[in-house]
Amino acid sequence: MKVLIIEDEKTLAFEMEKFLKKAFFLCDLAHSFKQGFNKLELNQYDYVLIDLGLPDGDGFELLSKAKKSNPDAAYIILTARGKLEDRVAGLDMGADDYLAKPFFLPELQSRMQAIARRKFKVAEALIPLGNFNIDLQKRFVFFEEEQIELSRKEFDLLSYLLLHKNRVLTRMQLSEHIWGNFVDDDYDSNYIDAHIKNIRKKLNVYAPTEWLETVRGVGYRIKK
Amino acid sequence: MKLSTKLILFITGSKLAIVGLFILLLPFLIGQIAANYTNFSLRNQQKKVLQNINKKGIDYYFEGDNSYGSYTMLKDEYIALETVAQTLKLDTIRDTKRIVEQDTIAYRVLSFTFQKNQKNYLLEIGKTTASINLYNDALQRFALYVLIILIALSIIIDLIFTRQLIKPLSQIIKLRLTNSRFPFKKKHGHIKTSTQDFKYLDHSLISLMDQINEAFEKEREFTANASHEFMTPISILQNKMENLLTEESASEAVQEHIVDMMKTLERLKKISRSLLLISRIENEQFSKQDEIEPQTLLNEIVEEISHRLEEKNIQIDIDLSHNKSLSNINHDLLFQLFYNLINNAIKFNKENGSIQISDHLEKGYYSIQVSDSGQGIKAEDIPHVFNRFKKTGHAENAGYGLGLAIVKSIANYLNLKIQVNSIPGEGTSFKVIFEG
Repeated sequence: MKVLIIEDEKTLAFEMEKFLKKAFFLCDLAHSFKQGFNKLELNQYDYVLIDLGLPDGDGFELLSKAKKSNPDAAYIILTARGKLEDRVAGLDMGADDYLAKPFFLPELQSRMQAIARRKFKVAEALIPLGNFNIDLQKRFVFFEEEQIELSRKEFDLLSYLLLHKNRVLTRMQLSEHIWGNFVDDDYDSNYIDAHIKNIRKKLNVYAPTEWLETVRGVGYRIKK
Repeated sequence: MKLSTKLILFITGSKLAIVGLFILLLPFLIGQIAANYTNFSLRNQQKKVLQNINKKGIDYYFEGDNSYGSYTMLKDEYIALETVAQTLKLDTIRDTKRIVEQDTIAYRVLSFTFQKNQKNYLLEIGKTTASINLYNDALQRFALYVLIILIALSIIIDLIFTRQLIKPLSQIIKLRLTNSRFPFKKKHGHIKTSTQDFKYLDHSLISLMDQINEAFEKEREFTANASHEFMTPISILQNKMENLLTEESASEAVQEHIVDMMKTLERLKKISRSLLLISRIENEQFSKQDEIEPQTLLNEIVEEISHRLEEKNIQIDIDLSHNKSLSNINHDLLFQLFYNLINNAIKFNKENGSIQISDHLEKGYYSIQVSDSGQGIKAEDIPHVFNRFKKTGHAENAGYGLGLAIVKSIANYLNLKIQVNSIPGEGTSFKVIFEG
């Protein structure tokens, strides 16, 4: 999958690239409206990440131009402005998603994955996880033929960890994924722990869940 | 007391005092006037008599006698002329008593001596005191009536005039102070008045309000810009730390340090986001076109926050009895408002505590009340709970002190009123009144 990151803050662009590379995306960087426009004219991408606040032009304008040269790409708008109108305008102009800075990198990847599922109709087969099978589209967890009842948030948590398997996710990354960047001032909470405890309890009835690891002082990880 | 009332009271009071004084002095004054007038007429008569004597000779009066006396019919007045010793010299007007036909009568008497034909004569002209003071009472009464009527008239004129005069002041108070709510967005023209002071007051108030608006605008702009500018550096730091965390070379100890740093950064991020939200609300960047069923909204919030309720084993009881739908409101903001209130009710509650949510209809206004069984707020702290970054007492779970500041700016924006009641040790209740 080819990704074009159009972001004028170079450090930020590099960090995104670094993260996405590990998830096996091919990344291309542009740091201005002009660079981004040129690259879009020359190449075809699967994903285009556009920062709205470019120094030499409006991100929205770039989006509408890009849609002509790269009609099949998925577009994600990145912005520090965080205005509601921007979000609405972006989605109206055909962006597939919108992320307000600062966002967690696993969140970016998960949004890209979600677009893939929706837009490119990437149908994943049942994903095996220990003795269990997970259907991400229908949102079910199976043990052999038996369906296991998980709450919406528990399933979100499990599938998020699964998407980033072999990578430790912090409680902050997990809770922002589940509760969004809702303005709320309790950051250090153990609600994630409570949900993990519930997932383990529900699954342990059928089979051991040693693949779901607690990384002391850091967070959680699914090891496969 | 209002200025107009004070003015009227003062004017009336001072008028009555002057009138009172005048009434007290009236008998004396009228007596004085009567006496002066009598003296004047006595002198006139004296002049006439002397003219007659000069013209017609002293015998015109004496007719051979050596004295002359004449009384009017009722003995009100008399004239007497007689020869007296050469040494007597008189020219006086005084009150004396005379016995006339066995009656003692008080007279005001002019006595005057003059030389004529080498003889000394004494002329006396008298007028009874009773006849002098005859009209005093009637005069006094008349003066009193006229005075009362004049005073009443002048008070009425004063009333009308002062009201007219003060009118611009009450208009200024009403328009600029009572009816204007911060921020002063509505522009009103100048108040029409020809009084220089009121013009000055009105202009000063307008320019003061403009200055406040400008300062507020600057602060808002600063908050928005500052919190917005924080987002990019926070982004960079956060993403760097995330990548660092997954480096193969990072030991467990290093990873823990990175997570600690991320937690601190998370705090900075949430403070910036909260400030940004407040400034966005103050900039009116939210529509007010939603229609909301309180029951549905509260259910959504409780579902969102249920993990916190479970954690402290808090019983929440939503009991809405009025089937009310709220219109012209913003769903997300109202959600945030009640979310923060319920979140607070959980945060400051005790284990196994409870939260009551009820609705009321008072004086035509609908309200929703969130009450908790928590630690309560001290009376002296209540006015400050909505201040930004204000933390009261309990440090362990105080958050950043922006939750209620957000509640307040949302309430201002949506024209809601919030009442706080609290009994320390028993609980706190927040009542959201929909006044729109």
